[in-house]
Amino acid sequence: MSQFLSNYRDFLKQSGKSDNYHGFDLRVLARVEPFLSFIYHDWWRVEFTGLEKIPREGAGLIVGNSGSFLPWPALMLLYALMSSRTNPRRVHFVADLDWIADERLHAFLLEMGFVPFSSNNMKRLFAKGELVAIFPEGTAGLTRNFANRGRLNEFDWVKLLPAVEEGVSIFPLATLGCDEATPVLTNLESLAKLLHLPAFPITPFFPWLPFPFNLASLPTKWQMSLLKPLSYDVAVERDKVEETVMKQSQFAEGEIQAELNRLLRQQWRHQG
Amino acid sequence: METDTILSWKSVPQTEALKVFAQRNPSFVSRYSGEQDQFGFDMEAFALWEPFFRFLYEEYFRVTVVGIENIPAEGPGILVGNHSGLLPVDAAMMAVAMCHIHKSPRRIRYLVTDWFFSTPMLGKWVLQMGQVRASLENARALIDREELIGIYPEGIRGVGKPFRERYRCLDFHPGFVQLALATQTPLIPVATIGGDEIYPEFVNLKSIAHVLGMPFFPVTPSFPWLPFPLMLFPLPVRWVMHVHKPIDLGYPPEKASDRKLVHRLAREIQYEIQRDLNSMFKERRHLFTSPDGEEI
Repeated sequence: MSQFLSNYRDFLKQSGKSDNYHGFDLRVLARVEPFLSFIYHDWWRVEFTGLEKIPREGAGLIVGNSGSFLPWPALMLLYALMSSRTNPRRVHFVADLDWIADERLHAFLLEMGFVPFSSNNMKRLFAKGELVAIFPEGTAGLTRNFANRGRLNEFDWVKLLPAVEEGVSIFPLATLGCDEATPVLTNLESLAKLLHLPAFPITPFFPWLPFPFNLASLPTKWQMSLLKPLSYDVAVERDKVEETVMKQSQFAEGEIQAELNRLLRQQWRHQG
Repeated sequence: METDTILSWKSVPQTEALKVFAQRNPSFVSRYSGEQDQFGFDMEAFALWEPFFRFLYEEYFRVTVVGIENIPAEGPGILVGNHSGLLPVDAAMMAVAMCHIHKSPRRIRYLVTDWFFSTPMLGKWVLQMGQVRASLENARALIDREELIGIYPEGIRGVGKPFRERYRCLDFHPGFVQLALATQTPLIPVATIGGDEIYPEFVNLKSIAHVLGMPFFPVTPSFPWLPFPLMLFPLPVRWVMHVHKPIDLGYPPEKASDRKLVHRLAREIQYEIQRDLNSMFKERRHLFTSPDGEEI
């Protein structure tokens, strides 16, 4: 803990007065930090570009593509932001958590900085000037087939509504590599329904290996790049607002897809 | 009389083909046969080649076109699409669809890169089929004459995508938006799936391409290996083309010089096409038989 305190002094200073209404706990973060660090630096060798675009203060929304059943892109973003030398910031992840029946898992996610998705929660965070991240692909993105890797599912534009209503700047975040890290071979929908899960993916590890190993992933190279914020006019009328949100969500999706295409081309050219 | 037929032996199948084509598609022929086209559209040559492309369209690729009614029956329009296939067959398929499925058949004048005109024989043939050398003056002249023009803003790079980059759009050149703004013409996005798999390209040998003056030198399962006509045979992949609703950009013509705006509008249209490609790619179950029995 003391090691953590000295390593992350700036982060602690910055996040000391941040919102922890839902039970964010620095001690839990301190405990998992070595593990996150190992995954970030050694296992996936994450290359994060564009971090300097995040403002030092004030609200912002990061919109990303999801890649695996576990919220790995979110945790990598959390680590990248907290370990930044120049501008460490706390980030809140807004996600649907209602389906998680296991109390311990639910509590753990809240302690890591997850927040149940609701318009009110998001607006409260924006009003406090917090950084929020959202992965609006939904369950379709969690169980993307390996054949469709790197091809986005449609964004749920409703999830961006609170941000546009408040006029918060939206940063698209493209993550390359998470689809290959846990290759989803198929999704058993009937079994998922039976177990009350949103999806039941089959990976080379997942139901086959004994417990901690079935959550394993391949050591792929990750590239995350944060793109410049979308510019939009803040509207007042309801119809206008919804139209703007839809357009912005589609534009963000397009930006992320185009960035993924660019990164993939670069990677493949580099290979041969 | 006899000497006449001997001298013009080449035109006999052409006039014959034109008769057959006129029977099949009278409104197309009557619409375009009278006029003299400044770019070299040749109705007889078109009629001669039309059965071949119709065979590709109906029998070989079995193209499904959704939303062809979004193309206006009259007036100018700019078709914008994702480019695919090593040979630009997608333009031909769209032209066939427009000539046969649409309730008022029209020709589409695609803007073609300069490479075709530096190749012997090919350039003249391309002009006869109704395509036009890509330039701003030509495009404006066509729009002034209320023609439909087709642009692939990815350019020739888009055609030579390797197989694993299939249906990943390259960044669109924003010239088409500038043209649409300056002439106040509606843009019609077209998303095509199937074209990138007909010639699965594994490697692009750039050094050989450079020597031969070609835009790319692909290595496909058949390409440099088999003897001449066989190496050009495409795989019989099923195609689906989605024609989107015409987009009226809603900005005055002066905005054509606003580079930032033009760039942004071009991106918006690129992303719309890319989104449609993603969803089509995911919906498609089988490469060779897919839209059968599935509602599209």
